[in-house]
Amino acid sequence: MTSSVIGQLIVKDWRLNGNLISILVGVGLLALVMAQYATGEAVRLFGSVWFFVSLGILATMLPTSAILNERKKQTLAFIMSLPVSPVQYAMAKGLSVAAMYLVPWVTLLASALIFIETRHALPLGVIPTLLIISMLPMVGFCLTSATVLVGESEGWLIAANIATNSSYWFIWYLITRIPGLKQHWSGPVAVWNAPVLMVLSAEIGLCALIVAIAFFFQSRKRDFIH
Amino acid sequence: MTDFAVELSGVSKKYRYFTLDDVHLQLPQGQIMGLIGANGAGKSTTIRILMGLVHQDAGEVRVLGHRMPAQQVAAKWDIGFASEDMRLYETMTLSWHMSFIRSIYPKWDATYAQLLLKRFGLHAEQKIKGLSHGQRVKAALLLVLARKPKLLVLDEPTTGLDPVARHEILRELTAAMADEGRSILFSSHNTQDVEQISDQITFIDRGRIIDSMDKETYLDRWRRLRLEVPLGVELRPLPGIVGVQRQGRLAVATSNAFVPDLAHAYESAGVHVQRIENMTLEEIFVANVEHNREEVEA
Amino acid sequence: MYFQIMEQIKRRIMVGDWAEGQPIPSIRQLAVDLEVSVITVKRAYYELEREGVIVTQPGKGSAVASSPGLGARLREQELEQHLEQASRIASQLGIPTKQLLGRLREAGDRVAEKDKELI
Repeated sequence: MTSSVIGQLIVKDWRLNGNLISILVGVGLLALVMAQYATGEAVRLFGSVWFFVSLGILATMLPTSAILNERKKQTLAFIMSLPVSPVQYAMAKGLSVAAMYLVPWVTLLASALIFIETRHALPLGVIPTLLIISMLPMVGFCLTSATVLVGESEGWLIAANIATNSSYWFIWYLITRIPGLKQHWSGPVAVWNAPVLMVLSAEIGLCALIVAIAFFFQSRKRDFIH
Repeated sequence: MTDFAVELSGVSKKYRYFTLDDVHLQLPQGQIMGLIGANGAGKSTTIRILMGLVHQDAGEVRVLGHRMPAQQVAAKWDIGFASEDMRLYETMTLSWHMSFIRSIYPKWDATYAQLLLKRFGLHAEQKIKGLSHGQRVKAALLLVLARKPKLLVLDEPTTGLDPVARHEILRELTAAMADEGRSILFSSHNTQDVEQISDQITFIDRGRIIDSMDKETYLDRWRRLRLEVPLGVELRPLPGIVGVQRQGRLAVATSNAFVPDLAHAYESAGVHVQRIENMTLEEIFVANVEHNREEVEA
Repeated sequence: MYFQIMEQIKRRIMVGDWAEGQPIPSIRQLAVDLEVSVITVKRAYYELEREGVIVTQPGKGSAVASSPGLGARLREQELEQHLEQASRIASQLGIPTKQLLGRLREAGDRVAEKDKELI
């Protein structure tokens, strides 16, 4: 019975946030198209940046819409009156929000990869780096979601957003400096060497760690509503 | 094992500016309890602890036999909760909310839900953001009533409502009690509503329970005595009198433990008892709180 | 508050709505109908039973007591109460009983006048 409640909560989140996701996926795809087909170099660059930015925006807005607003707009009491515990709520929230981010993320990433493979807009060697860079908003998203779920306030959300958004570029810069990455960009083949795999596992591991810590703190809460 | 729908023993909760202290409360199954208190007295906190939304610092909480908040999931299958600070999803319709609840609770009574829509004057296809305050309260109530839960926990269900809406709600609450297995606990600072439909009354003030007992017995204990004090006669305090107001030769004495002997005691002291009046719950509420605050401060 | 319920029930018996020996709604049912608490109705029934106005059989529910002339007796009781109250107020106001009787006659005349106007 409990699993059905969690299931219903997830469905509910999708119903409520579907619009946001569709819009951002639309924007992201548009950005990709721009990057591919536009004639001016500046416009193509703009398109590439926008692709990345739309993932970043989703990472910011989704936690706001799906997590923070539930608390701010006081619908949380309504949900907590259902047969669900704070930990189960966090689980349902985590799953729905993760799914809601993964769908657009995978869509956009897959579209980018398809463009690269079929239209050879960029050399195939850039793919590993593309993957690494696309994982950054994913990590940022995990951090933002976890922070706002546990921190429960707008202040925490803003702090997490500032921290993640301002670090993307710096981390991107660091990544380009990793030996074994940059030199293969212009290569005709995607190279999955040790540095690539290490960075990817670090990113994935970081996501998992953030989620685990969030659950730990969430389960120790005594007052769910103040 | 349990004859009580709700049982709080020695419950305490400390906040920065407010403390809920040593709360004892028992609601027998099949009865309605009205929780009365001024704003900030601790009604909402008590209810949140009861629902497992807030973890008490001390004391035991049992709802429908389940320990809270540890067994809150099991308990909430049979509890219908609605509170003043609870909101529904603005962008969705009432109909969506009804389907949402129905998908979770198998005991949803669709026929009764339709009847309530009509009685409350609500339109299912309307979005929540388009509803007035009164309609939102009724919508939230519909969502809990149609499930026919064993226990209804309502935080200020009639606050801020016009008399017609209030009547509609009181009618449905009393109608729910036709089933002996159902209980209701509601908080209010509207003494009229509490007086009308409660079986048990609990007074709470500044984080402490002042009184908790069945309504009729409670109303029976309080009296207002209109006295005439002749010159030269002293008005001495008597046991059972909690307050006296004087206006020259006239005085009004309030008693919370009235027995006919009390009137005789006055008469034999030379004080003439003009009238003995029953008190409304509102008058009792005010007198009780004042008396209690004096005692605490003393 | 139970007092008001008692009065309501007595009134229904007085006007003949509920006949002697006729079953009356269960405590819970009446509570729902009147939109009041069960405990209020319970207390009212208890007091009414003590006064011999109704009877309750466990498992069978409640009914108006089947003593003949109950309605008339209740009407008598009500009149007695009003008379006693008038007497009490008169004595508080310092009006002697003889004057009270005269005032009662005058009141009767006034009522007759008002009734004529209504028709």
